[in-house]
Amino acid sequence: MSKNTISFRLSNDLSELDTLRDKVEAFGSLLGIPDKTIFEINLIVDELFSNIVSCGFRDNGIHWININISLRGGAITIRVEDDGVPFNPKSSQKPDLECPMEERRIGGLGIHLVTELSDKISYYREGDKNILILEKKIIEDSTRLEK
Amino acid sequence: MEIQEKKLNGTGIIRVEGRLDSKTSPEFEDKISEVIENGTRNIIIDFESLGYISSAGLRIILKTAKELKRMEGKLVLCALQDYVREVFEISGFDSFLLIVPTVDDAMEKL
Repeated sequence: MSKNTISFRLSNDLSELDTLRDKVEAFGSLLGIPDKTIFEINLIVDELFSNIVSCGFRDNGIHWININISLRGGAITIRVEDDGVPFNPKSSQKPDLECPMEERRIGGLGIHLVTELSDKISYYREGDKNILILEKKIIEDSTRLEK
Repeated sequence: MEIQEKKLNGTGIIRVEGRLDSKTSPEFEDKISEVIENGTRNIIIDFESLGYISSAGLRIILKTAKELKRMEGKLVLCALQDYVREVFEISGFDSFLLIVPTVDDAMEKL
């Protein structure tokens, strides 16, 4: 496996977020990926992983979430695979960002962050697995990205 | 994550260090609940040493802001690092939260 790609698996336990951070930071610094992009990749995978752990499983058993992150041609591809209940983030309802604070709800915010920070998202179901593939262009400029 | 809390002229100042994610946020939530239960109605959260926040952290900020408003109190956030601030902006939280550069600025807003 080339150094441009990293694969690892996390168990369905939130304490694995520390492992996730270590893996993403090591991969990012090895390949010279800008800090801002490393932060955003970490946030994307964190939100997806936390969502799967919190909502994906109907039993109390151990499940594995497989993650692959690769860099090619100035873009990052993230692949997340889990055997939880079917969940397509693309059909998740966008939160209302304009309403007053009293009416603001937190539901959907994690997936909103994932969508905003990714350039392309594909989802499909393969057997009993959710497969999610995200693409993110690396922007070298260290100043804040205006979306 | 490390949380420090102090009181200044009746205002609770909570300083959070490290990362606020779905694993660490319950502890942060408990701390804020404790401060409010002790009668504090104005809270400043100092994020100078916070390097990371996910939607789990935002959920607690929203809950706290709503709760304090109901009690006629106030929540002010200060010293957000750039990447953390971006998460607030993408979420639209900067439109209803008071976010200022320093603790001193936050004190003036109360």
